[in-house]
Amino acid sequence: MTDSKYFTTTKKGEIFELKAELNSDKKEKKKEAVKKVIASMTVGKDVSALFPDVVNCMQTDNLELKKLVYLYLMNYAKSQPDMAIMAVNTFVKDCEDANPLIRALAVRTMGCIRVDKITEYLCEPLRKCLKDEDPYVRKTAAVCVAKLHDINAQLVEDQGFLDTLKDLISDSNPMVVANAVAALSEIAESHPNSNLLDLNPQSINKLLTALNECTEWGQIFILDCLANYTPRDDRESQSICERVTPRLSHANSAVVLSAVKVLMKFMEMLPKDLDYYSTLLKKLAPPLVTLLSAEPELQYVALRNINLIVQKRPEILKHEMKVFFVKYNDPIYVKLEKLDIMIRLASQANIAQVLAELKEYATEVDVDFVRKAVRAIGRCAIKVEQSAERCVSTLLDLIQTKVNYVVQEAIVVIKDIFRKYPNKYESVIATLCENLDSLDEPEARAAMIWIVGEYAERIDNADELLESFLEGFHDESTQVQLQLLTAIVKLFLKKPTETQELVQQVLSLATQDSDNPDLRDRGYIYWRLLSTDPVAAKEVVLAEKPLISEETDLIEPTLLEELICHIGTLASVYHKPPSAFVEGSRGVMHKRLPARTGSGESTESPDVGAAGGSAPEAAPSIIPSQGDLLGDLLNLDMAPPTTSGPPPPSTGMQMGGMDLLGGGLDSLMGDESEPLGGDIGGSPAMGAGFGAAPAVMPASLNAPVGGGLGDLFDLGGVGMPMGAYIPPKIVWLPAMKAKGLEISGTFARRAGVIQMELILTNKAMSVMTDFAIQFNRNSFGLAPAGPLQVLTPLGPNQTIEVSLPLSTVGPVMKMDPLNNLQVAVKNNIDVFYFSCQYPISMLFVEDGKMERQVFLATWKDIPNDNESQFQIKDCHLNSDAASSKLQGSNIFTIAKRTVEGQDMLYMSIKLSNGIWVLAELRVQAGNPNYTISLKCRAPEVSQCVFQCYEAVLKN
Amino acid sequence: MISQVFILSSKGDHLIYKDFRGEAGKDAVNKFYEMVTALTGGQPPVVMKHKELHFVHIRQGGLYWVATTKADASPFTIIEFLNRLTALVKDYCGCLLEKSVQMNFALIYELLDEVVDFGYIQTTSTDILKNFIQTEAVSSKPFSLFDLSNVGLFGADTQQNKVAPSAAATRPIVSSQGEQGSKNEIFVDVIERMSVVIGANGVLMKADIEGEIRVKCYMPSCSEMRIGLNEEFSIGKSQLSGYGAAVRVDECSFHQAVRLDEFDTYRILKVCPSQGEQTVMQYQLCDDLPTAPPFRLFPSIERDSGGRLLMYLKLRCDLPPKSAAINVSITIPVPKGSLRLSQELSSPDQSAELQPKNKAVHWEIPRFPGGAQLSALFKLEVSGLSAASLQEVGPVSLSFELPKYTCTGLQIRFLRLSPIQPGPSQRWVRYVTHSDSYTIRI
Repeated sequence: MTDSKYFTTTKKGEIFELKAELNSDKKEKKKEAVKKVIASMTVGKDVSALFPDVVNCMQTDNLELKKLVYLYLMNYAKSQPDMAIMAVNTFVKDCEDANPLIRALAVRTMGCIRVDKITEYLCEPLRKCLKDEDPYVRKTAAVCVAKLHDINAQLVEDQGFLDTLKDLISDSNPMVVANAVAALSEIAESHPNSNLLDLNPQSINKLLTALNECTEWGQIFILDCLANYTPRDDRESQSICERVTPRLSHANSAVVLSAVKVLMKFMEMLPKDLDYYSTLLKKLAPPLVTLLSAEPELQYVALRNINLIVQKRPEILKHEMKVFFVKYNDPIYVKLEKLDIMIRLASQANIAQVLAELKEYATEVDVDFVRKAVRAIGRCAIKVEQSAERCVSTLLDLIQTKVNYVVQEAIVVIKDIFRKYPNKYESVIATLCENLDSLDEPEARAAMIWIVGEYAERIDNADELLESFLEGFHDESTQVQLQLLTAIVKLFLKKPTETQELVQQVLSLATQDSDNPDLRDRGYIYWRLLSTDPVAAKEVVLAEKPLISEETDLIEPTLLEELICHIGTLASVYHKPPSAFVEGSRGVMHKRLPARTGSGESTESPDVGAAGGSAPEAAPSIIPSQGDLLGDLLNLDMAPPTTSGPPPPSTGMQMGGMDLLGGGLDSLMGDESEPLGGDIGGSPAMGAGFGAAPAVMPASLNAPVGGGLGDLFDLGGVGMPMGAYIPPKIVWLPAMKAKGLEISGTFARRAGVIQMELILTNKAMSVMTDFAIQFNRNSFGLAPAGPLQVLTPLGPNQTIEVSLPLSTVGPVMKMDPLNNLQVAVKNNIDVFYFSCQYPISMLFVEDGKMERQVFLATWKDIPNDNESQFQIKDCHLNSDAASSKLQGSNIFTIAKRTVEGQDMLYMSIKLSNGIWVLAELRVQAGNPNYTISLKCRAPEVSQCVFQCYEAVLKN
Repeated sequence: MISQVFILSSKGDHLIYKDFRGEAGKDAVNKFYEMVTALTGGQPPVVMKHKELHFVHIRQGGLYWVATTKADASPFTIIEFLNRLTALVKDYCGCLLEKSVQMNFALIYELLDEVVDFGYIQTTSTDILKNFIQTEAVSSKPFSLFDLSNVGLFGADTQQNKVAPSAAATRPIVSSQGEQGSKNEIFVDVIERMSVVIGANGVLMKADIEGEIRVKCYMPSCSEMRIGLNEEFSIGKSQLSGYGAAVRVDECSFHQAVRLDEFDTYRILKVCPSQGEQTVMQYQLCDDLPTAPPFRLFPSIERDSGGRLLMYLKLRCDLPPKSAAINVSITIPVPKGSLRLSQELSSPDQSAELQPKNKAVHWEIPRFPGGAQLSALFKLEVSGLSAASLQEVGPVSLSFELPKYTCTGLQIRFLRLSPIQPGPSQRWVRYVTHSDSYTIRI
């Protein structure tokens, strides 16, 4: 006799037959009938009509039958709440049964019947079962509290079950402890502020004791609970780590991972010079390696976690490179993850081995894998300088195979290698050019075009090559179009004589025939640059590019910290914070690693993570309607004739273009060393990837160009909407102390020039003449850039306003406070000394906008010790207003994310002496208090920077 | 926290469906099947997401074993749990087949109820579960020790070697029916998997061994079992013992029921085996083989004057002469555009064929004794054969089984049960090494 026959009864009147059988007197027959009912239930047939008949079978002393009936009840009680009441009496009676199995079964099933009416009857039996003498009943009851809480939270609180549950944490049976911990953890998640799981050193100690005794699954609950605890100091942290470490050799990978999570988190608090710290690091490697011998499913999940761990603490696995070598029979998703980790671990020590492997992979069958392997070779070259030459020759070998997709990937990565090591490997360009025709993917075409443009002077037929691309300009993807535009402009600037026609052609294609605003804008910018000041154009377009950063796809540091706290969970597989994929109340608490110092400042604000995933939006920019932009553009003082409204007739444009280039050409061909006056900074966005928001540009250009371009950018709304913050003038030198000369003043930064704005008042009776000024050495090398211009003598009661341009190239000496400036002013009467403090914001330079990737890498690179956190109170701006206000003072927002009404702004600042300050500003809607975290390699500036933030935001 | 657990047949039939938390609908089952069948090769199937629901699944016995969750649960926990669940079902029902799951649905529901409560995993130990489980397993046919129809892991070339036939270990652990239940048997298996990469120059580039000792116990009451390993067994890289004949592994992990008080001195594992199957010890050896790798390849590849690709492969088996490899299968990737294959093999029981779809030649050797050397000559007609085509040949991958052989040299010295079992009891110790990934580059 087998059960499979139950699945095959499909006759008519089946329900009727079952009804009869259920009401049979014979137990065996009843049991068979209930089984048939459950079989129908499983395959999705509706057997709810049999509810009363099945419930009738409930009163039996046959445990097997009882279990079957309960199974049915759990499934259908919800749809038949009134009938479910019929079963209550039996439940209550069963809860008193002499057999602990029956008591537990009853309380377990009752909790699963999600009917409100039943819950009131559940309370009394549950109370008894929580104190039952049998641990099996107690552990079942503990879970039942969580079930009841899910249905009616208020009831659980009113009935005091939570306290009973807390008591169970001290139960003698480890299973009961584990279930109580699990239930409390779940309940606590929906009450973020309650202190349900009151974790203190005593309760932690109890948990650690239970950890050794309970089942593997119980160990997981306890370890996960431990991970939420923040030890008071490094000694407590170490003692917990010591007791958790034995779990690392457990056979159950889930236990291992939960232990890894606890250790990774608590390690953060240990001083790095501690012996135990390095011992712990060593102990973490073997269990992680072991995970890679599991089934592919577990391997994949493990690799995703290792990827996070390697980013946080590469030292753990630095000697284990070999285990990440792919096996030919690994599933592709495992291979790709392994490759990623291999690159992260690549270093000078193991690069030869890695390269040999990668070369093998590049000849495999699977296209995706091969592509990634080729890309990996490029990443190695960028990461490990010593290997670059080897990587390049490996790539050349691969190009020789002429396998289409290999060639394309190789060209894309060689472009990056050129950018990292300029003027080193250009000899390979010829080989690359041979493959021009086979490129059909946009990324590869764009890369190749970039190479041709960048090295136009070394490629004899660069103009022919680029021209060949131009033929199908409109069929290319935007990426290729943009690159082609830039490349041809570069070519023109390098070989102006023979390429004039080409550049006109591409400019007109980009500006007139394209619907793409990015392309058109870039076209106009080049056009205006070329027409206004070709020398400046050359400086901008051919500016030296910043080197590309080593690590390209790092996870954002705050997100990484949060994910480390979620090791072993789905978040660690998706690489997204739980709030991004878990609904509502559960799991929205953001976790953050504890601070090493334990000062508590950073742990006070746990809400760091973000829902936005790993791709923060670009800085907000307002783009005015195209008509305005174009109209204004055309009304500007430059060449193209004013035609009302877009699009302008093409002939007009052409003529304008001719004029423009005519003039431009002359000056370009003329004296190239013509001084430029202003500091045309290397704007990182210009050369290769002229991105969407060139906010850096306007102020870094000097007056004539800057004027026109400034307008242009203002139209774009990304220029300087507010203007820099200028503190109000204060009296620096009272008249009493200076024989009648009163000096008040302030500092300002205008168009990239720092100015000291002074008001000199003569309160004496005699005329003052012969003014001069001098600064003592100071922290940032501020010095007057010219003499103090007081041309006319200052008569009694006369006042004069002077503005003194300052440079930052004077002698440097660290002052305290940092922004202190000691000034000496001389006149015909005497020399007077005073000191004043300047807002550090005037040292914020205009090209302080970091590239996002560089930002990420830098943030990660700066040690946590250098991070300081401040509160800005009573600020009522929203994040956008704050961002644009800050931008006025050259504090650039690089990215913004929003998590549950909290905006996180990531900003960068560059000081005139080249120091970068990175900031994360958190703005909660409705909360006037901002939190700001500052990271800088020179942490002493943080305090001053914070003061600036406060001053800027509040004015 | 697990929200639902369900078991689907490979065709998507619902075999078992259990909702633990009432937070997701039953339509999740069909949604899962839709998603899993729509997966392409490159997508990791491990964790899938549909709206708020996350699916984690494994495939065993041709069935989908799926758990869903709505929380930020641990996929490790869920995968480990599903693996245990399959082991439990195998223990209780005898084998993992659609039919046995279907026949024993009541038993499986009962198991699920005890194993998981409100999404919290309670226990997966048969020792604890046997106190609660009421339903008895039903099996499709009576089992017999001599039933060799089901040739599995240890099934090949058996009888004469006194190796227990595989069918003996595929019956339910708990059974009160007749003579089956009284059979006191215990199986101890030492299973190793090796992954090896041999470079084009014949140098061993990578060699890892993963091994485990698995115990399958049919004894209803067994208070303690002592498993004695080789005394010269050592763990860790630093330990050097005696004359270097030691059996060495890098890492070792044990089932939590294993007591190790005699392990350090005598290399004895003490365990009270629960009924059913459990892995008592797992170990790894990285980057080191105590002996030569079992296979070496000496290829010579050239183009002949007729525009054909000639591959002359000599394959040597470096196992000790008493051992042999079975089911050796060699895959040689060949250039795209390979049209026809003609071959000369050194013995008639071998076979080889060209699989144009996979761009590979498959060469099968049913039995390969230690110390022997086999050779094969493959002549391939390739359209558009060029010098670059030669680069497309390789790397060669092998899969094989080495019965009665452990690469690490790990042996079980003795197996003692205490107290002495009343009545006849049988103890079986079996060894096997599998190729996990064995690659020889050309």
